[in-house]
Amino acid sequence: MANVELRNVAKRYGAVSVIEDFSLEIRHGEFVVFVGPSGCGKSTLLRMIAGLEEISGGEVLIDGQVVNDRPPRSRDIAMVFQDYALYPHKNLYDNMAFGLRLRRTPEAEIKQRVGDAAELLKISHLLGRKPRELSGGQRQRVAIGRAIVRQPKVFLFDEPLSNLDAQLRNEMRAEIKRLHQRLGATIIYVTHDQTEAMTLADRIAVLSAGEKMQYDTPDGIYNRPAATFVAGFTGAPPMGMSACTLSDGDVDLGGGARIRLAPALLDRARASTGLKFGVRPESITLGPVGADDAQLAATVALLEPLGSETLVTLQIGASEFVARLPATFRQPVGAALNVYIDPARIHLFDGASGVALR
Amino acid sequence: MNRLDRFTDPNEKLLAALMLAPAFMLLALIVVYPIGKLIWNSFFDLRLSGGAGTAAAFVGLRNYADVLQDKDFWNATRNTVLITLITVPGSLVVGLGLALLSNLPFRRRWPVRLALLLPWALPLSFVGLIFAWFFHTDFGVVNDVLRRGGQAESRMWLLSPNLAFAAICATVIWKTSSFMALMLLAGLQMIPPSLYEAAEVDGASRWQQFWQVTIPMLMPSIVVALIFRTIAALQTFDIPYTMTKGGPGNSTQTLAMLIHNTTIDYLDVGYGSTMAVCMFVLSLCVTALYLRRMGREQ
Repeated sequence: MANVELRNVAKRYGAVSVIEDFSLEIRHGEFVVFVGPSGCGKSTLLRMIAGLEEISGGEVLIDGQVVNDRPPRSRDIAMVFQDYALYPHKNLYDNMAFGLRLRRTPEAEIKQRVGDAAELLKISHLLGRKPRELSGGQRQRVAIGRAIVRQPKVFLFDEPLSNLDAQLRNEMRAEIKRLHQRLGATIIYVTHDQTEAMTLADRIAVLSAGEKMQYDTPDGIYNRPAATFVAGFTGAPPMGMSACTLSDGDVDLGGGARIRLAPALLDRARASTGLKFGVRPESITLGPVGADDAQLAATVALLEPLGSETLVTLQIGASEFVARLPATFRQPVGAALNVYIDPARIHLFDGASGVALR
Repeated sequence: MNRLDRFTDPNEKLLAALMLAPAFMLLALIVVYPIGKLIWNSFFDLRLSGGAGTAAAFVGLRNYADVLQDKDFWNATRNTVLITLITVPGSLVVGLGLALLSNLPFRRRWPVRLALLLPWALPLSFVGLIFAWFFHTDFGVVNDVLRRGGQAESRMWLLSPNLAFAAICATVIWKTSSFMALMLLAGLQMIPPSLYEAAEVDGASRWQQFWQVTIPMLMPSIVVALIFRTIAALQTFDIPYTMTKGGPGNSTQTLAMLIHNTTIDYLDVGYGSTMAVCMFVLSLCVTALYLRRMGREQ
């Protein structure tokens, strides 16, 4: 177990800069997820920590030691790859024992460690098999087992669940979470799936185009997004957003839809160049929850029943917002109704920079 | 089980048989018939030098008995096996080196790969002639280099049995390494880079990665390349024929050359066929050994 620190890290390919001046600290035993769309640099960062990519600038520290010039084998890390990267010619036991044998670990200890990891991952009965004889989920377990037996300082996971089907992904996600709770290891996990990030992480780093948009707890990321990118990337469905104006201390969504702003936020909003309004689907309710809730006229534009709830796209003012309503909601498309939004649960962003106003 | 049994409708069975018939007939015409004819001829005293009216006489296994006591046959077999034992591993090692080299991340890969292809593209007899000049006692580049290196006396490469054999082996290795390299390069490019990365993270050095990842992952390609190369090596003809014509004496005569001499020069088709059957059996045995090993590994 160790802490990891990235200090002003940069990655350039010739004249092309992929990551510039990136800093981040991961504490002992913390589960940190790098999340972002394809090409945002999250895997590159992970590979730089692993030592599989050269670092163009800045420093990577593991347990307080600068490891920039150390090869992967000297960093005491273990990595789980997207395609599992199991050695096809070795059986599962030998796959898991490979790293230990290279480190000249006594065979009795190897047997003990591989046996323990296999039991933990429920693959003891498969140890004699070759990887091609296993399902995707079993291969993923072996890949994780290969990392566990090494007992490294840091575990690195590079989109480990993206090759699995939806059901298996959910199962493995829970297993990885349980594993972290049991081992208490420092884990850095890369994914483009915000659900994975929210469910697994102690802290999430949301990345876009090589930049850290926000580094916070899942609660902070979801409820206090630092920018429109973070707000739009998290949540399923994500936060509904629309351009708005200020009118007599209210947010004006057009078409008579107005929400009163808290005075502190009003001052910030006045200083901004252009405004963007955002609201999470569950913050739109059919009845008032608090005395200050704004009542807004809405029209049902689309119904998406999910069984346990219904996603209802509502026309409010000049824009459409998705509301997460009870499954008992029975209004047809085109129906007019009143909905309520708690002013404390709305989000305002600077129209030009996309930065949240607080 | 008869594969045609899966068709329950007799008409479908007939149609399937008819669709397969051309392929079977072609195979029979170009493979089964020549091999069958070769084996058939080996049981006859069939000399075309006896003049008109000489009938082929059935001699049973006499040709085989003669072959087993024929010193020339055993000499040629020994030479062929030696060439195979030297040039097949030789071309594997050189070819693997070339494949690893051409798999490096060069900015421009095509000149490297073109250079790799050239020896393979040259006709065998052409290569034999080129290398006969290279190894020429007076005008050859090999002796010239040796002279410049301080070797006062010219070596008679193609006139001394051992040196001629070495020169032929070197030529065969040069010629066939590119084929090996191409086969192995294809295999190398099939190895996922993540395996090397995983090995690196696991703690493997470059050398350990080569033995623990590259070689095992290349093994199927190596076995296929070895089968092709071994069969071709057992049939070595053009290069020794153009370089030494089997000489000096018959020190570099291979089985294929002896069969050629017997059937084409001496017109003894029956005896030549018998030796050809022996060579065919040798090739079959070697191929079976490789395939058995490959099957065991899989």
